[in-house]
Amino acid sequence: MKDHAGKGPVGTPMPLVDGIEKVTGRALYTADLVGDGALVGRILRAPVSHGRILSVNTERALALDGVVAVLTGADCDKTYGVLPIAMNEYPLARDKVRYRGEPVAAVAAVDAETAARALELIELEIEELPACFTPQEARAPGAALLHEDRPGNIEREVHHAFGDVEAGFAAADLVREEVFDCAEVTHAMMEPHAALAEFDPERGRLTLHSVTQVPYYVHLSLARCLDMDPAQIRVIKPFVGGGFGARTETLNFEIITALLARKAGGRVLMQLTREETFLTHRGRPATRVKLKLGLTKQGRLTAVEAEVTQAGGAYAGYGIVTILYAGALLQGLYAVENVKYDGYRVYTNTPPCGAMRGHGTVDVRHAFECLLDRMARETGLDPFDVRRANLLEPPLFTANGLMVNSCGLGECLDRVEAASGWAERRGRLPRGRGLGMACSHYVSGAAKPVHWTGEPHAVVALKLDFDAGVTVLTGASDIGQGSSTIVALAAAEVLGIDMGRIRVVANDSAITPKDNGSYSSRVTFMVGNAAIAAARALREKLVAAAAEKLEVAPEEVDCAGETFFVPGASQSELSFREVALAALAKEGTITVKGSFSTPPEAQGGRHRGGAVGSTMGFSYAAQVVEVAVDEDTGQITIERVWAALDCGYAINPLAVEGQIEGSVWMGMGQAMAEETRYVAGLPAHAGLMDYRFPTIAESPPIEVQIVESIDPNGPFGAKEAGEGALAGFPPALVNAVADAVGLDVNFLPVTPDRLLDALVRFRRARRNRDRAEAAS
Amino acid sequence: MTAPLPPFEILRPASLDEALRALAANPGARLLAGGTDLLVNLRRGIGSPGLLIDLGNVEGFDDISATKDGGLRIGAGVRLARLEREARLRAGYLSVARAAGSVAAPTHREVATLGGNLCLDTRCLYYNQSEWWRRSNGWCLKLRGDICHVAPQGNRCRAAFSGDLAPALMVHGARIELAGPDGARRLPLADFYHEDGAAHLRLQAGEMVVAVHLPPPAGASDYEKIRVRGAIDFPLAGVAVASAREGGATRLRVAVTGTNSCPVAVELPALPAGAEAGPFLKDLGKRVQRAVSPQRSTTIAPHYRRLAAAAVAERLARRLLAQQGQGEA
Repeated sequence: MKDHAGKGPVGTPMPLVDGIEKVTGRALYTADLVGDGALVGRILRAPVSHGRILSVNTERALALDGVVAVLTGADCDKTYGVLPIAMNEYPLARDKVRYRGEPVAAVAAVDAETAARALELIELEIEELPACFTPQEARAPGAALLHEDRPGNIEREVHHAFGDVEAGFAAADLVREEVFDCAEVTHAMMEPHAALAEFDPERGRLTLHSVTQVPYYVHLSLARCLDMDPAQIRVIKPFVGGGFGARTETLNFEIITALLARKAGGRVLMQLTREETFLTHRGRPATRVKLKLGLTKQGRLTAVEAEVTQAGGAYAGYGIVTILYAGALLQGLYAVENVKYDGYRVYTNTPPCGAMRGHGTVDVRHAFECLLDRMARETGLDPFDVRRANLLEPPLFTANGLMVNSCGLGECLDRVEAASGWAERRGRLPRGRGLGMACSHYVSGAAKPVHWTGEPHAVVALKLDFDAGVTVLTGASDIGQGSSTIVALAAAEVLGIDMGRIRVVANDSAITPKDNGSYSSRVTFMVGNAAIAAARALREKLVAAAAEKLEVAPEEVDCAGETFFVPGASQSELSFREVALAALAKEGTITVKGSFSTPPEAQGGRHRGGAVGSTMGFSYAAQVVEVAVDEDTGQITIERVWAALDCGYAINPLAVEGQIEGSVWMGMGQAMAEETRYVAGLPAHAGLMDYRFPTIAESPPIEVQIVESIDPNGPFGAKEAGEGALAGFPPALVNAVADAVGLDVNFLPVTPDRLLDALVRFRRARRNRDRAEAAS
Repeated sequence: MTAPLPPFEILRPASLDEALRALAANPGARLLAGGTDLLVNLRRGIGSPGLLIDLGNVEGFDDISATKDGGLRIGAGVRLARLEREARLRAGYLSVARAAGSVAAPTHREVATLGGNLCLDTRCLYYNQSEWWRRSNGWCLKLRGDICHVAPQGNRCRAAFSGDLAPALMVHGARIELAGPDGARRLPLADFYHEDGAAHLRLQAGEMVVAVHLPPPAGASDYEKIRVRGAIDFPLAGVAVASAREGGATRLRVAVTGTNSCPVAVELPALPAGAEAGPFLKDLGKRVQRAVSPQRSTTIAPHYRRLAAAAVAERLARRLLAQQGQGEA
């Protein structure tokens, strides 16, 4: 029997299963859950970038009427961190603070006014230490160390070499090297951070609701930091207003809220302000990329050499993974055999960086696609042709051991080239207008998870009961990307039933199977496959019951359209309900599960750090950006974008389209305006006035093309769709600016002030050159 | 909300006299209209007035009426969304309608008022922050401190005036009507402001803005705002230009916001009839560059704001002159 006969809901545009709650306002987010009330939690934050804590006196705060609990670093001596090899953060600082805004103490009080007054009453004595804000400062001889065990403030160095890079450059007709600087950016998701913790002192049990993308990791961190048996903890993720990677690790406020609830012996709601949400950060680090490429006259890449330096902030977080991704994903997009990578993740006295949409690859891809474009220009090749000259031909393994089984990049290129009118229009636009393009790719989940337990990557359970309804139980976190809809669609498709018969219950550790969480675009591929496997298991039981009633062998039975039947035979059809009741008559309530695991060959190369970048399949994207540049003011208008993404197969084309638009839009923000700015470690950007993500006013028309390469291992052939199209925007924009005004820029974001400054210098240099030529 | 507003009483006077009496009786009170500037600041711990005087019920406060001389009197309580759409402004004072339409976002403009925009607090990256932020930074000259972090050597606050409407009204020769304990007075709008970020309004104790008076329309005008995003942002620089015939010559007026602690009127010579526009426009750009003095009060470089203000002034002036048959667009 086929899982996907083309008759079910898969492959047709489908509104999200939880969309109605969101658009009607009925959806309950963490801060909506207080019900009969909760204490108000607030955090006292470090006023200095680097300092030794001499004392924290909480006596006066505790004495204030209405204050129920006060915490300091003394209340928790356990570190946490998403990577088991790099847990170096305390929920509340002990001994030292390492960035302005680091939590130092916390209070739970009867209301917000009292909590605010209590924070004022906490006396904090700190001996200030010299601080480092850039990798240059942090790596300078004699620089103050953030962590005693990290000389030179280097969190991790990576040195990888594949093939013969020297021979590769020797074989090139053109070798160029440039340095690109990309500013730190952050997620700025709609919903600020919030957590609601309830501690039951009689039973010693804790329940936490949080905005997390990774309830399982939060569960583990709570058990560790509160020194509790995980069985006494329940973690629930309610509706979440976006994540983009900000919530792919346990965050300090989640542990602090739980600690406060335990100390208060009750219920505490912690709602961070927008500023505090910015301070919690975990975004994309400021990155310097020194990139060298070798190219033949025909446009073949012969060698790649990259040196990447990231300002990681004050703690480890995902940092090691980020610096490894930056090198690993130099590969997997184009056919390159000779690749050298040197990466430096550096500690700085700023809020910790982490994972952000396109984790690790975006800034490096930006440098790569800009430099490749310039070298194509110098060689006299069309930007599309130089990319076509380097297409991968799967199945294959890259030089660093990444498995590639499907690649629709060629078709992506064809589609956006045609749709944008590239051949006819490029070079024929009026002054100030330009077209640029770039490619990108992203993993469909890490083939090896950060917490290796040996368990499957994903488990989905299904329950069928007397009502003939199918309940899907999943631990996958829907954070707006539509993952609950994907599991519902997969189950409906395989069982041949209507979506209305399915309910999805997600993210309650007491009910739903463990899931690693929503990050690295793993959910559709891994949880989707697990959902298919679970539905198959249920179908097998139903088919057996139907076969018995129809008096045929199970192999003869097919199901579709809520019926079971024998194709081509005269027996009457059985309704889904009839068959369900027949199956239940044999064993009562039916629960089944399906799981997904990755094979060892997908888990990356054998070199140190080789698991990072490994995946079951890459999405591929190409996009063209058309700009208009105002040469008087440096302002750029995005006239139009054409984006194509190979997502393997679009299980829900409506959601895929939305994800591509969202990726393009987020890439546009990073390309044009978004950046964090610290004034001696204080965030000058910590509000939506000053962190300038684009508004609808400058959002261009985005023409989306979905390319389906049908991955042999993907659920119905699908791969990821939520991140791959992001990294192409910034380089396509910079390439378009070059086309429009003849100027290449090596910085992000391309804000009007930076661009005008570059244009002024560019014009001056050109005038001087013309004068010198005229004189000679 | 995590950051609560400070406690306050609200008074809703029905007449101007009642409002003025309340203001006189409560020197610490703040006037509240749309609240789009005031409430955001209060929530961030900037000020804690015990009393807010809500002007929403004051009779006639949101009237627009024709004056005897053929001009307009616009009440301080008129909403920006109405200014944006008002036919008389679009026809005779385009810069004003354009400036109103460029403020923040549509929902803000439905509640924000003319008076509020004219009295907008000055802005600075060291000031428009949370209490924790400002305290960690040792406060500043504008609030509780004694040093301006933008220009530490100087002795005054460099926060930038960011209202869009003031320059757009100034190029039309607007006068502002104030009322206070000693009665009403009118003064040229430019004289209402003062180059000091911590005290940029020349309002006397107990005085408030009542209306703006525009003389009869004369010539054409326009407004353009430089900002990173097409909505929400305050002006990095906002430039209003008006052009009118004066005798045989053309008189251009230019005013700029966002670059100084007050809106800046740029001194310009008249352009004689038949004179070439090119050199005049180039000179105009240079005069704008000299007149403004943007500071490091935002993360966008001051020099950029100077260059862009000049470029936009030149561009608007060129367009207006071309409309009047002098030079090419």
